[in-house]
Amino acid sequence: MEQKIEKEDKKSGFLTRLLTFFKTLGLTIKTRCLKFYNRFKEGSTGTKLSHVIMGSGNIYHKQYLKGFVYLILQVGFFALFIISPEVNGTPLGLKSIVNFFTLGTEPGDIFNPADNSMLMLLFGVIVFGLIGMFLAAYNSNIKSSLKADNDIKAGKKPTSLKEDIASLLDERFHVALLTPAIIGIITFTVLPTIFMILIAFTNFDSEHQGQVLFNWVGFANFLDIFSGTGEISVRFLPVLSWTLIWAFFATSTNYIGGILLAILINKKGVKLKKMWRTIFILTIALPQFISLLAMRNLLSTYGPINSTLMSLGLTDAPIQFLANAANPWTARITIIVINIWIGVPYTMLMTSGILMNVPSELYEAAQIDGATKRQAFFNITIPYILFITTPYLITSFIGNITSFNVIYLLTGGAPGVPGYKAGETDLLVTWLYKLTIDESEYNIGSVIAIITFIITATATLLSYRRSKAYKEEDAFQ
Amino acid sequence: MKKLLMVMALFLVALVTVGCSGKGPLTIWVGSESEAFYTQKMEEYKALYLEEKGEEFPHDIRVVGVDTGTAAGTFLDDSDAGADIFTAAHDNLGKLIAGASAVAPVQNQALLAQIQNDNPETFLQVIKGTVGGTEYTFAVPYVAQALVLYYNKQFITETQAQTWEGILEAAVANNKQALSLAGTDGFNNSFILLATEAETGNTSLRLYENGIQENTYGTGDDTIAKLKWGQYFFTHANGARRPSDSGWEVELKNEISIAFIGGAWHFSAAKAALGDDLAITILPTFELIDGYGEVEAGTVFQSGTFADTKAFFMKKNSRYAEYLEDILLFLTSKDVQEESFVAAQNLPAYKNAADEFAAFQENTLEAKLAAAQVRMFEFGIPQPFGFQTRYNTYYYSKGTPDLILEILENNGGNFGTDAQILAQMQIVETIWKTGNRPA
Repeated sequence: MEQKIEKEDKKSGFLTRLLTFFKTLGLTIKTRCLKFYNRFKEGSTGTKLSHVIMGSGNIYHKQYLKGFVYLILQVGFFALFIISPEVNGTPLGLKSIVNFFTLGTEPGDIFNPADNSMLMLLFGVIVFGLIGMFLAAYNSNIKSSLKADNDIKAGKKPTSLKEDIASLLDERFHVALLTPAIIGIITFTVLPTIFMILIAFTNFDSEHQGQVLFNWVGFANFLDIFSGTGEISVRFLPVLSWTLIWAFFATSTNYIGGILLAILINKKGVKLKKMWRTIFILTIALPQFISLLAMRNLLSTYGPINSTLMSLGLTDAPIQFLANAANPWTARITIIVINIWIGVPYTMLMTSGILMNVPSELYEAAQIDGATKRQAFFNITIPYILFITTPYLITSFIGNITSFNVIYLLTGGAPGVPGYKAGETDLLVTWLYKLTIDESEYNIGSVIAIITFIITATATLLSYRRSKAYKEEDAFQ
Repeated sequence: MKKLLMVMALFLVALVTVGCSGKGPLTIWVGSESEAFYTQKMEEYKALYLEEKGEEFPHDIRVVGVDTGTAAGTFLDDSDAGADIFTAAHDNLGKLIAGASAVAPVQNQALLAQIQNDNPETFLQVIKGTVGGTEYTFAVPYVAQALVLYYNKQFITETQAQTWEGILEAAVANNKQALSLAGTDGFNNSFILLATEAETGNTSLRLYENGIQENTYGTGDDTIAKLKWGQYFFTHANGARRPSDSGWEVELKNEISIAFIGGAWHFSAAKAALGDDLAITILPTFELIDGYGEVEAGTVFQSGTFADTKAFFMKKNSRYAEYLEDILLFLTSKDVQEESFVAAQNLPAYKNAADEFAAFQENTLEAKLAAAQVRMFEFGIPQPFGFQTRYNTYYYSKGTPDLILEILENNGGNFGTDAQILAQMQIVETIWKTGNRPA
């Protein structure tokens, strides 16, 4: 009964939140529209003009340079849109918007090229980005003119471009510094990510390349996960399960192993501490891919380890550590063990640093209260390490979900599953690599990338928001 | 102000993007192993051009070594940025000409005549494709390739190497593995699947015959009988094995196995592994132990192969289009093919190479490799996947090679009966035809 009430409470809570969201959204839009209207109504002639011709407000207020920069921006933007210059035969401008929705209509012939759907999609994304930027500049132009109005009303002289630049290098220096970073993020992260996400809604695959147009297919690629007899539907859940198992064990073994090793090395009475640390750090000093390839060769069917085992008479036949088709867990466990060897030193190094910096007054207070060493360890040392390393733990888990090197270099996904690309040790990310690089199935690859992102983002958010490191941020300060 | 700066920078990015469409050199992609050779040849071409036209060749030429196995895919990923001339195996033709075709047809009459006169009939069929209802020649063959047998003559005699039974006998006598494979794909199982009846040269196997998807048949009596023999060969204690994670080179070098099926591109590695013990011959025959249907036990089959050509393709709408065919006329000429064989062991696509090329007559391993490949052309077919972009995918990428390997390995006894083998091949056949497993 209580559970039922709790469920209903949750349901009504969700509905209320949803209603509040739309209400707030509506109010925000209304407020913005009113603000825009009032700005136009109350602004000077220059400000009114700047709603149509960018920079005219600034020119009206004799801020010529600033005004012309805005004007040039507007002219440039409209020129780009009207002229729509062709890049590699595909227009970039107003036509890009139409092309974004059609993804090309001209099938071409033997002497004339077909429309390039991929470039059309890309340019569509870029043009929408440009429109967004232009709208921001448009708003900035009105605000700039309005500020000049207000300055005049307040009996001050409107600021010149020179003064604006001086301000950017002084009290608004953070803006000058952050602007290139924001541009970089938009250009190199946001736009490519949007492009990648959109590919998941197309049929851009091995049969729609080169001079073949591709189209929008809605959620068909996502639905393929749940239906059909194709690779994506049959192998998705096994690969996802193994990915999560791998991420759990790879993270926990490294974490626990690293902490134990650090505690052991930092224990009073252990001699040659620096030497032990150096030995373990050697695996970090070597490029990881070299360590992994060396391990693969050592453990291969006819590699040195098997040769030694056989010559010692310990086995009759070579053990397939990394490719045992009969039992995929052999390869899986081997990979996790190798990963411990590679990953433990990182945690050890970090934990060593933490252990050396545990506030000594905590131990002193505990000692005064009569705590034993064991109690101090479990009630001070361990919570302190956990508190500090929680974000690392989460990052490490996410990193392991998308851990490409270890799997790709050690097994390449082997042992294989007859009939499918995704092998028994393939993670979502290595499977994604095979599907896109080897098979040109970009749409399916994109679907997997989106799902991987959803999993990692959800895991990060949930675990971090529930951690003490987040809830009690100041606990150890 | 920050928004202003953002917009300015974004326009800058757009301008840079537009500016990137500048004019680069005329680019030619060839196999990495031949880069030096073709770079030198292009220098010679420029000298010839100067001699003939009385003026320097007007553009820079850049020869780039690439992985020819993936060159077609790389080209299609961004054909505008792709090479003006590039090398790919002929079976990529389907995807290259899909839609409005990303490659240009050959139109130069001299080049078409050279292709017609110099190449074997089998190659002429697989370099043509239909776009917009018209058939064109799209590729210029210049390298041929077929699988051969590399073996360790320390363990296998020349006579034993003629039959798989002989090789197995040598493997048993020396307690070795009879055969290593380079991979598990459809290319590597072709020695069983494409085998033909030695006496008649017949096989019921059909793969996209005449370019028609439905003309595909892999469940004939002889196919099942061949796979039954393959199962015997793969499950024998000293028989063939799927490639281990150590690699076939290690297996040969460490004398784990005594023979290997490979192409000319494996020659250097095989030589490095076996040194003076390396011998080369055509793929052997095998004799059925069990019959199936109308195919009787004791029937002898000759191992088959895909006998392919690597060809040059031209980018459609290349800004250097007017020069490309003349360059290809030179690069695929008989003389350059012969030099390519000597310098880079590329088996010429030239049809009379075995008789006319002096280097073929020498008593070298390279000459034996070439001779073995030429003979294997009698027992092989060109990969019939160039007609449609999907054929290659269906044959190689939809898992059928693994399903065939399952039959051969018979793990867990899952394919111990004729009915089980037939059922699995029915699945394979459906995938070949439709790209999907039967529901």
